[in-house]
Amino acid sequence: MKRDFIFSSESVTEGHPDKLCDRISDALVGQYLRRDPLARVIVECAVSSGILFVAIRHGSSAIVDIPFAAREVIRDVGYDGDGFNARDCTVMTTFADIERSATDLVDEVTMTGEDIDRVVSRDPVTVFGFACTHTPSLLPLPLWLAHKLARQLAAASRDLLPELLPDGKTQVSVEFRDRRPARIHGLTIAVTLREPDDGAAARLRARIRDCVVDPAFADEEIVPDDHSRMAINPDGAFNAGGPAAHSGLTGRKTAVDTYGEYARHSGAALSGKDPSRIDRIGAYAARHAAKNVIAAGLASECEIGLTYSIGLSRPVSIQVETFGTSAIDEVEIERRVQAACDFRPAAIVRRFGLRRLPATRTDGFYATLAAYGHVGRTDIELPWERLDLLDALRSE
Amino acid sequence: VSTNTDEIRIVHAAVPGRVRVHVPPLYRNPSATLALRDLLTRHPAVTRVDASARTGNVLILSTASLSAADVLAVVRELLQDVRAQHPGPATGHRNGSGEVSAAAAAEPITPWHTLHYDAALSHLKTTAAGLSTDDARSRLQRYGPNELKAVATRPLSQIVAAQFASLPVLLLIGSAALSVLTGGFADAIAIVAVIGLNAVIGTYTEASAEKTILALTRFSVPPVLAARDGARTSVAAADLVPGDVIYLTRGDYVAVDARLVDCADLTVAESALTGESAPVSKSAAALVADAGPLAERINMVYRGTVVTGGTGVAVVVATGDATELGRIQALVTQAAQPETPLQRQLRELGYQITFVTAVVSGCMVLIGVLRGYRIVEIVRVAISLAVAAIPEGLPTVSMMTLATGVRRLRKEGLVVRRLDAVETLGAVEVICLDKTGTITANRMVAQVAHVDGRPLVIEGARIRDAASGEALAAGESLRSLLRIAALCSDATVTVDERGEPRVDGTATEAALINLAIALGVDVVGMRAAFPKVAHLARAEQRMYMTTAHVAPEGRTLVACKGRPDQVLSRCRSVLTDGATRELTHSERVEIEAANESLAGQGLRVLGFAFAEADGHAGNNLSTSLTWLGLVGIADPTRPGIRSIVSAFHAAGIQTVMITGDQSATAYAVARSIGLRPAGQLEVLDSTGLAGIPDELLSALVRRVDVFSRVSPSNKLQIVRALQRAGLIVAMTGDGINDGPALKASDVGIAMGRDGAELAREVADIVLLEDDIGGVVDAIAEGRTIADDIRKSVHFIISTNLSEILFTLGATALGFGVPLTATQLLWINLLTDVFPELALAVDPAESDVLKRPPRRADAKLVCATDYTRLGADAAIITGAAMASYGYGVRRYGQSGGASTMGFLTLTGGQLLHALSSRSDTHTAFDTAQPPNPWVGLSVAGGFAVQALAAFVPPLRRLLGITPVRLGDVGVSLGLATAAFVTGESLKLLTLRSLQSRSTPNPPVGTAPCTGREPSVEPEG
Repeated sequence: MKRDFIFSSESVTEGHPDKLCDRISDALVGQYLRRDPLARVIVECAVSSGILFVAIRHGSSAIVDIPFAAREVIRDVGYDGDGFNARDCTVMTTFADIERSATDLVDEVTMTGEDIDRVVSRDPVTVFGFACTHTPSLLPLPLWLAHKLARQLAAASRDLLPELLPDGKTQVSVEFRDRRPARIHGLTIAVTLREPDDGAAARLRARIRDCVVDPAFADEEIVPDDHSRMAINPDGAFNAGGPAAHSGLTGRKTAVDTYGEYARHSGAALSGKDPSRIDRIGAYAARHAAKNVIAAGLASECEIGLTYSIGLSRPVSIQVETFGTSAIDEVEIERRVQAACDFRPAAIVRRFGLRRLPATRTDGFYATLAAYGHVGRTDIELPWERLDLLDALRSE
Repeated sequence: VSTNTDEIRIVHAAVPGRVRVHVPPLYRNPSATLALRDLLTRHPAVTRVDASARTGNVLILSTASLSAADVLAVVRELLQDVRAQHPGPATGHRNGSGEVSAAAAAEPITPWHTLHYDAALSHLKTTAAGLSTDDARSRLQRYGPNELKAVATRPLSQIVAAQFASLPVLLLIGSAALSVLTGGFADAIAIVAVIGLNAVIGTYTEASAEKTILALTRFSVPPVLAARDGARTSVAAADLVPGDVIYLTRGDYVAVDARLVDCADLTVAESALTGESAPVSKSAAALVADAGPLAERINMVYRGTVVTGGTGVAVVVATGDATELGRIQALVTQAAQPETPLQRQLRELGYQITFVTAVVSGCMVLIGVLRGYRIVEIVRVAISLAVAAIPEGLPTVSMMTLATGVRRLRKEGLVVRRLDAVETLGAVEVICLDKTGTITANRMVAQVAHVDGRPLVIEGARIRDAASGEALAAGESLRSLLRIAALCSDATVTVDERGEPRVDGTATEAALINLAIALGVDVVGMRAAFPKVAHLARAEQRMYMTTAHVAPEGRTLVACKGRPDQVLSRCRSVLTDGATRELTHSERVEIEAANESLAGQGLRVLGFAFAEADGHAGNNLSTSLTWLGLVGIADPTRPGIRSIVSAFHAAGIQTVMITGDQSATAYAVARSIGLRPAGQLEVLDSTGLAGIPDELLSALVRRVDVFSRVSPSNKLQIVRALQRAGLIVAMTGDGINDGPALKASDVGIAMGRDGAELAREVADIVLLEDDIGGVVDAIAEGRTIADDIRKSVHFIISTNLSEILFTLGATALGFGVPLTATQLLWINLLTDVFPELALAVDPAESDVLKRPPRRADAKLVCATDYTRLGADAAIITGAAMASYGYGVRRYGQSGGASTMGFLTLTGGQLLHALSSRSDTHTAFDTAQPPNPWVGLSVAGGFAVQALAAFVPPLRRLLGITPVRLGDVGVSLGLATAAFVTGESLKLLTLRSLQSRSTPNPPVGTAPCTGREPSVEPEG
């Protein structure tokens, strides 16, 4: 296994059209669950120039003002000026019904063990969870830094650099030695402007360095050095962006949502799905297990893969991969994970309280997941980031 | 007229080849706009022009060779000509004193809603004390009377003239003239009589339809209370001028646009203008952003609306055509009427026939001359043949068919304003249903309640538990709530002479009182027992009303009704199952959730609370209250709408709902009425619809089932987009704001009972009983009409073709001219007029509403039809030739042979009428609804023919010889053989179509009338 390498991860800001679609999808999932915790809802969005398409399949008693909720997200994200904006964009909604089965109408909280067994996977999917010791949140460092830059970039577009659109991309390349991050090889930031203005390049580059890069690295151990390549819109063009310039689709940024391609991730989208979808919640459960393995000191890198098959409740396989970093035998870790975690769909919903979160949190919960990762978040309290399996994993 | 062309400026020219120019003289001058557009279109470098009299803007697309400056120069130059010919209101229309009388129209529109009312008053050079009589008089001269330009009705002369404006009629007139020239006076008289009859029937039908509608729509505006010379004076609505101060009170019809100066609890029903069925609360103090739509301008009142509650004082800012209502009417007069498919097709058919006639007659003369016949003789025959070729019955047929349809519909409560609209209905592919007033009754009804912590469903006077569906009696809590609703209300309740209570008030309050009455609460008695002593109206920051009433034993009853969250926040206790106790936090949360959920379903939700206290009112109005419950009020869908919608679907018509509701609510309604029985239902949120490019919208609309959050101007845009997508669009509406869309749609359908005057005036069809189900009948009627016209046309063409082929063929083959001019005219009158009229009133085929609409661009006679019609004509011709040939062999080229051919030809043509009743059923199919008129016309035809054969004077007139019975037998036998052959051929064709088609062939789909013919017909 290679020990020295350079790895890069990218992130996007919440106004990136793909991410905007993710966020609208998740905001709507939250709205449905807030009104009807047992709602089944799948929301997919596409945005192009002035039009937002929202395709909803739902089985719910709740009534949600879809365009209103969508416009709220668009406004919150920062599209409020000329061009694409919350007020003027057109929202086309497609509705289809899902018949809820008898088990759909039972709250997981009230389920018995047999009930939980009866809730089976509806999708064939392999999901992955990953954790490593690069950062305090146990995320890979390249992605962690890319998220930090993206977040800072979005914040700057709100006040310090109002000429920026909330649509930007960041990429951080980290040099690893002996599989440990050693230095910043380089970072790239791509920003878009409300009004195309090539003359502003020099000034903007300096401002972005001051307002975005420096604060992002303020409390980091590894910071860019003199040899780190720092590129801001390296192709030289400072163009318009947002949905007016390029279109977006729900579920196109799964690497950004997970581990920045440092570890494997499922091809299935996370956003826009209610908690009955195993391809979403399975990924959370796997991350939960992996994070606890790392925190319990069993390894310094851990990837857990769960394979679900239609019609079965328990995953057909649970794979643990520690990339040679484990303190004990991988097979033993696998055994302990299996003993400590219940990976059945209904059990995951119950363990994480996924149905009630939108009602108990003012931000609607799911919408906040859409940007800057579904895992390893430090700004919001995520049930799958809890370190509550340490004892179970440590005990032999 | 001075040409102040400097005002013309470029609005937008960023894209090469695309320039938007603002041309002030076009503003509100539709004729000049159209003229300029036409002139511009003729310019060689210009590819497309869009001009709007509403904005005065012209969009010019041109080839790259034309720069923006060039375009401006061209517009300037052309405008000179246009202005000379179309001095519109804005271009100078001066009166004697030299004052520009249209000053009001030319004045820029002041955004009154953005101004403080003091600013508005001073802007209008008036005060809150109103105008002096002198000032008002001079203003009246300047601004003109406060009247809307009447929607033009067609004068009788125009209707009469229209009857002669079809090519077949013009051709007939020409033929009559030619007949006179060649000495055929009798022929000419016959032709003229037919023309006259057509004109009379057509004029009568159209004029009576216009009359009916006029009687329906007359409406006069009552006088208005205004301040003149400092005193409240009743002023005729027409005499109001900008600057007048008017007083508004409940029930007043607002006759002007006015800025509120002062008001108390003023609510106005603006549904006629904005489509919003709930009355809007007004506020004089509010200021509204410039871009705010009409519905949000709460400091304004508009013409066409009605005060439903409270009082107000307002200063008039616009009168007559300058009002918003007037502007909508201006829009209406601009929206062009599309030509209906029938008009188009009959015109096309006319051209084809002209061509055929000319060619055939020419050939006839040519052949005759080559064969060496006498020229005068051959020209007479040629004219007769031309008359035979003209389907002179066609205008009568279409008129007759349409008139019969219109009369039938009138009996079912549908008034048809344009004859051909019914026919267009037959081709309608998509129907836009305005939710308010069409799908719903435009009437507020209490539908749900939430008392004792449980949701109830209210259906009239019946109560059900929302969760279990179990029927309940009205509990004490609900009764208490309704008693409070009865007391805390501005609605008046009177008892009429029959002892029935009459409720007068806002839609919401009326709904509550009606529910109270329905559930047996003695509203009148309650009000007498608890007289009102204090009243605190709803206000901006206090969205509830409170009243205090004298209660027995010196106590005071405080009643409160309003926005649930605000009422709830004043409550400390709750009345549950008859007992009052502390309101817990969880109960509060539950009530709030119930409120949110009901509001989310599009209901208007009100909360109710009360308190009982010792002593007098006054200081008790702000006491803490006891919560009673919630009531949700909505505009319910009409009963039976679901089956009507499915009838549209069965008939292959796409349904589109247009509503101001938010999309999820709209979705729920759409599902409940079965707008799309299976599969995905698409909702387009129409906020910002105006910003979507036309092409994109046209692509989108084909899939949309529901347009939500639609504002009035969107409706026109939606109809236009559907039309651009190539669809024939019907649109229903009842509000003034529906006017432009109704006018622009292919078939505009207005509600007659509750609908606005304007909607009725511009619609093509008015539903007197407001029952949308009538549209289904109308569509069946429309399809039948198109079918019948097609049947008649087919019959005429095949039979006329047979006489042409026979005459031409025999002449060309050297058998002499087989028929005389008189015989040809006789055939034409006998076998065309009566069977054709009988076919025109053929009853609807049983599957008329089970097949897709015919394509509007489907020709009455298409290429494959010609093959069939040609075959039919050939069979009849063959029989006639055989008969003639038999006669020639027996008697030589003489009257005898001619007579035999004549008898076979007429017999074959008459029998062909039976065959023409259906393309898909044979004449022997007993499942078809019978048409006695066809049988009668055929039998009558044979009877008359017998007279001709056996009555000597007639025989002499027709120039036929006495015939032997055996020859008659041969002639009629051959005619019958032709009929049987034709029907057998039809059966064979149908069989082969069926065997080759899919398991479920489109029932009754005739070739080239169906949407997608599943099989290629035999060719």
